[in-house]
Amino acid sequence: MQVALKIWRYDPDSGDRDLRDYEVDAPEWVTLLDVLDLIKDQVDGTLAYRKSCRMMICGSCGMRMDGRAVLACKERMRPIVDRGHVPVISAMGNLPIVKDLVVDMDPFWSKIRRMKPWLDPGYDEPSEKERIVSQQQMNVIHKEALCIMCGCCVSECNSMEADPEFFGPAALAKGFRFVGDARDQTAVERLEDYNDEHGIWDCTRCYFCNERCPKGVDPRDAIAKLGAESVKEGIDRDMGAKHAKWFVKSAETTGWLRETELVPKTQGIVSAVKQTKFAIGLAKHGKVPPPGPVHVAADVGESRALRNLVREQGRDGALGIVQGERALARIERTDEGSARRDVPEVTPNEEPPPAEG
Amino acid sequence: MTKVAYYKGCLASLSAKELDTSTQALAPKLGLELDELESVTCCGAGDIHEAEPDYYLHLNARILAYGAATGAETLMTICNVCTLNLRQANFQLLNDPELRARVNDNLATVGVPPYEQDIEVKHLLWLIVEDDGAKRLREVAHRGLKGLKVAPFYGCQILRPSKLLGFEDPDRPWSLETIIEACGGEAIDYPAKIKCCGFPIIQAREEVAMGELIQPIEQASEAGADAMVTPCPLCHLSLDAWQSKLKAATGHDFNMPILHLSQLVGVAAGLEESELKFKRHVVSVDPVVEKLEV
Repeated sequence: MQVALKIWRYDPDSGDRDLRDYEVDAPEWVTLLDVLDLIKDQVDGTLAYRKSCRMMICGSCGMRMDGRAVLACKERMRPIVDRGHVPVISAMGNLPIVKDLVVDMDPFWSKIRRMKPWLDPGYDEPSEKERIVSQQQMNVIHKEALCIMCGCCVSECNSMEADPEFFGPAALAKGFRFVGDARDQTAVERLEDYNDEHGIWDCTRCYFCNERCPKGVDPRDAIAKLGAESVKEGIDRDMGAKHAKWFVKSAETTGWLRETELVPKTQGIVSAVKQTKFAIGLAKHGKVPPPGPVHVAADVGESRALRNLVREQGRDGALGIVQGERALARIERTDEGSARRDVPEVTPNEEPPPAEG
Repeated sequence: MTKVAYYKGCLASLSAKELDTSTQALAPKLGLELDELESVTCCGAGDIHEAEPDYYLHLNARILAYGAATGAETLMTICNVCTLNLRQANFQLLNDPELRARVNDNLATVGVPPYEQDIEVKHLLWLIVEDDGAKRLREVAHRGLKGLKVAPFYGCQILRPSKLLGFEDPDRPWSLETIIEACGGEAIDYPAKIKCCGFPIIQAREEVAMGELIQPIEQASEAGADAMVTPCPLCHLSLDAWQSKLKAATGHDFNMPILHLSQLVGVAAGLEESELKFKRHVVSVDPVVEKLEV
């Protein structure tokens, strides 16, 4: 079959950018990576991209297809050709472009390194010949351990676009892989560290990371697990943690969010006072419900009783999220979510890749 | 008329009352009979999921249980965040009988009816467009949106994660555009329509949130939009109320009116100001109303 691509080229010496058309004859089973190999071999040897294993395990060939970060070796071309679509290929986002489809992964690796990605078993040497870790204990970090560090999640992270220092989804998922590891003795120190200004609570919950991850790591869920572990350990100095705790307080006292008190409870009284002028502006339009009789949900006592009950059952912290993963894994094997790909018309995203650096 | 269990969520009860009134007024025109849930609480907004996730699951199971007790097949939401939180909990319960049994035991202990009859959580947006909704809408929207250029803003948690939401392609959604056009308006396209408005961290990390918020407003403005429309009251609040802060930070006054989905369809269907409550917006909607009156 004939496979056509448009590729955003970038020449670091001249700084030139150019969207070029390519077309090659290829077998029906090819992936995007195979097509790039054919182009490099037959059409233009100067095309630059990374690759190694060709089987979704090395994490080298992350790039964008029509604006979506993908592993080139995972994307089959046949359905795209059948639709008559010509995809636009570009480098991943949120990382500086070195040449064509190759990005500089240094900022990515420095954030991974920042998480201390190694086991710290402390001085608790195993008394037996070996330390047995149960399947149940490993299930807690099963998803995070699947990460191949390709950077697809980072590519479209909305928080990182606005705050380049944000640790980001890959690093934080790596962090939970160690916080949740039964053999690691430094979970509390790690959580203290990950509660950095650019850490856990800098995530905006855009869920691009879960959407893009080619391995099912669901980094956003890993970040929520770190949040839940932090709250469980009483590490709640961050405004993000205070904000989250206020929702719990609201749910068990009035049922609905106590909106008016959310700002002082999150930011503290001093910062909240600084927001007074802004708040008065909103109040004029009824956006700030007046203090006084709060809106109380019917039968809210049930909500309070539920919280007290589940707190006694020991599924606090990350376990509250892990317990739902068996069910969520089931829906991935059904057609539930696959219908979304059946949209007939796809407009290629010809937005140029972001500027270098 | 199709009866649906109506879960309005926190914001439509408080700072976004205009979303509730316009939804209530619009629903009968769309053939929806709303059975409003009374004994329900906040879904946790992702915050309880991050602070005390087991409590989050139980709170949402309780909402689903009361929804199912109405006998309706659908629980209707009008907020992206409620949609994701409820659908996530629902998928966990529907696909794991052991987990559902444990949660139901706990519900029974505190006197809540168990979640037995299944219910499906759907956003108003999906109920409007599904089953050839555009055709239905063309009849309902008799007043139309002629000459109005509208920028659709989806927000995040009605598109992603698509395995839990799954109504449309999360990268090339079409539902809002279909609605705008069926109502007689012109849908404006721009890349940031599927990105984040920054709301979840607008209090804890205001600068980062504003760095996200400016993208859709700036792009919609440059593309010539008269107004933006969103299916999410949290997106609405940041797009509408935080525009003044964007002005202070950038010196640029976008003056972009932001409409709730129910208001956009509502105005096209001839709802009155007493139902639309445009006066409750921070950025004036007058230019939109004037344009439609010409």
